[in-house]
Amino acid sequence: MLDGVLQKGTYEWEVPIGFVPGMRVPGRFFLSEHLESILESGAIHQLAHVATMPGIVKNSLAMPDIHLGYGFPIGGVAAFSLDEGVISPGGVGFDINCGVRLFTTPVPERSVAGRRELIEDLFKTIPTGVGGKSQSKLSPQALDAMMTKGARWAVEQGAGVERDLDRCEENGYMKQANISAVSSHAKQRGYSQGGTLGSGNHFLEIQIVREIFDSKAANAFGISKGQVCCMIHCGSRGLGHQSCTDHLKIMEGAMRKYKISLADRQLACAPLDSPEGRDYFGAMAASANYAWANRQLITHAARRLFARTFRIEYEEMPLVYDVAHNVAKMEEHTVDGKKQTVCVHRKGATRAFGPGSPDIPPGLGEIGQPVIIPGSMGTSSYILCGTQGAMDRTFGSTCHGAGRIMSRTSAKRQLSGKDVTARLLQKGIIVRAHSENAIADEAPEVYKPSDEVVQVVHSAGISRLVARLSPLGVIKG
Amino acid sequence: MSFEELPHTADIKIRARAATLGELFSDVLAALMQVMYGIDRSGGISREITIEAPDSESLLTDILSEVLFVSEVDGLVFQKAEIRIDGSRLFARFDGEPFDPARHSGGTEVKGISYSGMSVKKDENGYMVEIVFDV
Repeated sequence: MLDGVLQKGTYEWEVPIGFVPGMRVPGRFFLSEHLESILESGAIHQLAHVATMPGIVKNSLAMPDIHLGYGFPIGGVAAFSLDEGVISPGGVGFDINCGVRLFTTPVPERSVAGRRELIEDLFKTIPTGVGGKSQSKLSPQALDAMMTKGARWAVEQGAGVERDLDRCEENGYMKQANISAVSSHAKQRGYSQGGTLGSGNHFLEIQIVREIFDSKAANAFGISKGQVCCMIHCGSRGLGHQSCTDHLKIMEGAMRKYKISLADRQLACAPLDSPEGRDYFGAMAASANYAWANRQLITHAARRLFARTFRIEYEEMPLVYDVAHNVAKMEEHTVDGKKQTVCVHRKGATRAFGPGSPDIPPGLGEIGQPVIIPGSMGTSSYILCGTQGAMDRTFGSTCHGAGRIMSRTSAKRQLSGKDVTARLLQKGIIVRAHSENAIADEAPEVYKPSDEVVQVVHSAGISRLVARLSPLGVIKG
Repeated sequence: MSFEELPHTADIKIRARAATLGELFSDVLAALMQVMYGIDRSGGISREITIEAPDSESLLTDILSEVLFVSEVDGLVFQKAEIRIDGSRLFARFDGEPFDPARHSGGTEVKGISYSGMSVKKDENGYMVEIVFDV
């Protein structure tokens, strides 16, 4: 481990005040011995720099999928007090509300496994990759409604059912959205991208539930062994990217105005209680809503295709849950025995509220919030649930995925897309993307083993394993 | 044209070198287009963009961000750029073509331009910059 970092438990480490100058609180992160060998020291420095930000509460945190990010590390979680705290676009990322959802189907494995035409049909139906545009352009009124009402707007358009909203974090939209804080540039990028997947690590994957670890929770979530499911991973597209870019620029000015001086320019921020802070929060919430609506539109397209192909009813494909990975939210947490509303930034981390939280879907109150952790193309994905341990130690947060360990340059040098595709096919996984490069870029070996990452959060008690899913087919950008 | 891709775990890091600041920026723009759309890009359609920013780093970030916007909204893939910088003012003329799914779909979408350790440096050989594209 890095010099100066202290072990506080089997999986828990502390970055003490003084690790970098100006830290206001200690840093804390979760890691196993094996994951320690691939830890980037730069990511721990980012964790420490976040601890220097005004109004940070208790700890600057990172989950076991920690790696270098923009300002905040990926896997980073930080909460700020409403009176002295700040809000930072770098604590959310360019892809606002990049997130993941899962719906189940009644289709048997034998109908799906090895069925290339299903993957081809999905690839044709759902626009993917660079330049992927939706078939119909949104009107300005529709875009405004999408940014205001998120997944609810999509359901009102017929692209889903009311129950879907119960199964989304925030019920599929943040009410603090302020569309007047979203620039014309961002809106222009939003018109043509409703229902598009994007590129990079975004995907739609057909999976099968292979293992159940907690049958009571799995039952409550509607998950059973052998069930064929569909997982969707994407975000707020160009509209969210542009909102981040626009507000980063505004924050640069705000730093000078409010005399905030930080070691890293990427931590640009503004007081939560300032016009700049409020505007970013409103634009971020509007972008987050766009992302929830986007995932709902993609779900709708996939469900319709499944219904047509397998002659099943739309309602037979219930949503398990939808979680955000990149977002800032106002939440009530108990800090030093007192309830306090804080602005929790999660940057490549998942909300994991424990049993009894009022924000958990009806019927799941005793279990805890469903958490969805996508694997990489060839590896397992997991369903977990939130715990009291997360409420006590991580502002109700856990990991978000595997986390990269190999650069794209190395991936391209060492791996061929063709070989990766053939190898995955041998394991029964059909991959469809626009290019071989995109497949090599996202090969299973470029990521940390997802099994180990979820094992750490389970063993550390900040979420609990419920089920493991394996991929059968995937479409990528 | 001179740029190279450096190892970076999560994103794409580019190093460019050039004799003048304008050429340096042109090289970084070519790198951005290559990452997103591949090497098969031609000209025919021109676009002009003027921006102002207080320093070289902000000028570079702002022009790259603006190109991400124009390229996506107008569906254009740029082959090259001619850039003139006069103090805090940048004038760019781009040459490109409409996005062609058959030839331009193989790249990776760039979500944003990172300030990550970015600084434009000058020495006796000219200018150098390292920059991270968030993908």
